[in-house]
Amino acid sequence: MKKVLKGTACVLLALSLMASVTACSKGSNSSTTSGTSGGKITLTIWDQSVGETDPTAKLLPEVVKEWNEKHPNVQVTRNGTSGEQYKTKIKTALAANEAPDVFYGMGGGSFMQPYIVGGNCLVLDDYLSQDTLSKLRPGMIEGCKVNGKIYTLPCYTHIANLYVNTYLFDKAGAKVPTNYEELLDAVKKLKAAGITPAVLGEKDRWPGMYWFDIIAMRQAGNAACIEAFKDPKKFDSPDFIEAARKLQELAKAGLFNSSMFSMSYDEMLNAYNNEQGAMMFQANWVNAGIEDSSSKTKGHVKVVVFPVFSDGKGKASEFFGGGQDGFYFSANTTSPKDAVEFLTYLSEQLGTRGYLAGAGLPCWDTTGLDTSSLSELDKTDAKLLDTATSFITWWDNIFPAESAETHKNLIAELLANKITPQDFCKQMAQLKPTELAF
Amino acid sequence: MNSVFSNKKAICIFMIPTMLIFVVIVFVPILISSYYSLLDWNGVGAGKFIGLQNYVEMFTSPRALNSIKNSCLFALVSIFIQLPISLFLALILANGVKGEGFYRTVYFIPVLISTVVIAQLWSKIYNADYGLLNQLLKAIGLGSLAQDWLGQTETALGASFVPTLWQYVGYHMLLMYASAKSISKDVIEAARIDGATSTRIAFSIMIPLMKPMLKVCLIFSLIGSFKVFDLVYVLTKGGPFFTTEVPSTLMYTTIFDTYRYGYGSAISVFIIVECLVFTLLINKFFKTED
Repeated sequence: MKKVLKGTACVLLALSLMASVTACSKGSNSSTTSGTSGGKITLTIWDQSVGETDPTAKLLPEVVKEWNEKHPNVQVTRNGTSGEQYKTKIKTALAANEAPDVFYGMGGGSFMQPYIVGGNCLVLDDYLSQDTLSKLRPGMIEGCKVNGKIYTLPCYTHIANLYVNTYLFDKAGAKVPTNYEELLDAVKKLKAAGITPAVLGEKDRWPGMYWFDIIAMRQAGNAACIEAFKDPKKFDSPDFIEAARKLQELAKAGLFNSSMFSMSYDEMLNAYNNEQGAMMFQANWVNAGIEDSSSKTKGHVKVVVFPVFSDGKGKASEFFGGGQDGFYFSANTTSPKDAVEFLTYLSEQLGTRGYLAGAGLPCWDTTGLDTSSLSELDKTDAKLLDTATSFITWWDNIFPAESAETHKNLIAELLANKITPQDFCKQMAQLKPTELAF
Repeated sequence: MNSVFSNKKAICIFMIPTMLIFVVIVFVPILISSYYSLLDWNGVGAGKFIGLQNYVEMFTSPRALNSIKNSCLFALVSIFIQLPISLFLALILANGVKGEGFYRTVYFIPVLISTVVIAQLWSKIYNADYGLLNQLLKAIGLGSLAQDWLGQTETALGASFVPTLWQYVGYHMLLMYASAKSISKDVIEAARIDGATSTRIAFSIMIPLMKPMLKVCLIFSLIGSFKVFDLVYVLTKGGPFFTTEVPSTLMYTTIFDTYRYGYGSAISVFIIVECLVFTLLINKFFKTED
């Protein structure tokens, strides 16, 4: 009896091992570019739109479903993972040559640079028609080009602005700041009223980077910043030192919550939407969360351009953001023509309907769209976008990857008062220049 | 059965499948990683051969040395705080208390919970604004001690030790408990008849007889603390200004944030060698003791 039991146990174990091995290989197959089977093509798309308040999270599956219904011969399967995990996942897949046909590329820039240069991404020029390109807003396609070739079609663009909670400002008797002195004054009044002037989730380091970058752009002007990207030694100059000094002065004055170093980006959004801070400097992807019916901030928040400095060279029409968020192609995709057709459809649908749902600002032509469903914040953002004369996208997408990390770490040290503004700029001057064309 | 064990050919044949899987899943990736560690490679395209430069960089970079120091601190804390606690609990339970089975299960539960869940749990406990720890301190009048545990450079490392220790106390306790229980009751009874107290029995009889298991626990604890990743990463991502950074989180951020696969591979090879060296040292130490 014992022998039979032992025997069956061994056989079962062997079978289960075999099953798990085949299941593993099957799993990895479905995430690689799949081929044709009797005329039917399957495309895979990976994205990071899974947030609860992210309008794209609802819209993207809808668009995929509509495409699948209209095109029975070209079926698309979608795989969504959230933000930071998505970055790791797509990087691993690209390195292993197992990338999906279409994938989200996080605003391009230095995130996508190694893969474009390494030949992992498909060039789209031959597959795009003039008709498609004409539907894009002027200037938008430029940001999608690397070395003169187009690699993506933009869905949305984002700009960063100052979100002020007018309810909390009124409570403290503070005025919405339009210049640096008013900003310091607002900090004083808000603190006196027991309100945290601004929430910052510095654990992830890029929210703090946003504050420094806009202050630098206001102090030195966009043109000087672009010069410095090309030649980082220019960061060691009076304007940037002054920008670093201003940020440190704001931090010392108590602008930010004392728990900023252990607060993550998501916790920052939660805190802001729960009215635990009066200001936040972020991009328009936060609009949906602020205006959500479960947020205390619904109806209390106004979006304004970041204060302009009277002693600075930056103008109110110079914006932080404007990069193109889009989807990229794996060079291994089996059917480029169909994939590009799908991308055109997806980008246009997301770009127009997503804009109406508040997912981002439009890259596509939006004349004739019914904008009445947009929230106040989205409408203001769209108006601000129209006034823009110059854009600089997120600096960690402009610097090469290692320098981007150093940049973020230096800003964190600046906020913690661990280095002087002069030392900060000296170390910034040692960063590597951008590999993108400006 | 005996005929199978004594037949050397049969032993070899039965070992082959496992050896094959082991070589493919463990050895081959280590060899490939060692090769990558000699390159300057960004993950895509061709890498540039730079010899041992990555290792030189690792041993001269303050950030890497700091991470090695942190992993050594984790190891020390594991050995001198976690193992004694596990031993203490194991001896008490092995002596027989009411609800022995219940306590055994309860102490083991943290081991079963996913490390990520534990990290999330503790990061909420440590939260500066609404965390349980700060609320507790304020409630008992020690509000002045309430601080941003994970956000301050002074407290972050110490704060991240606690969940790591807490999670695996039950695991080591269970191993030691099993070993303690396997000691023949006759020896202990004889000692009691001779008038030995429980403490005396514990130190002079039980612990020496548990030496093999203690060696195993020591090795697991040491290697676990050299390799610790998920708990630290979810709690602090390497900490405010790298104060909680360990080699594995450094390796992760090097590869995925800065695209430096060569340097990251060098760090991973270092961790492997470090664990091997210490395992051999411990084995040697315990052998000479016998």
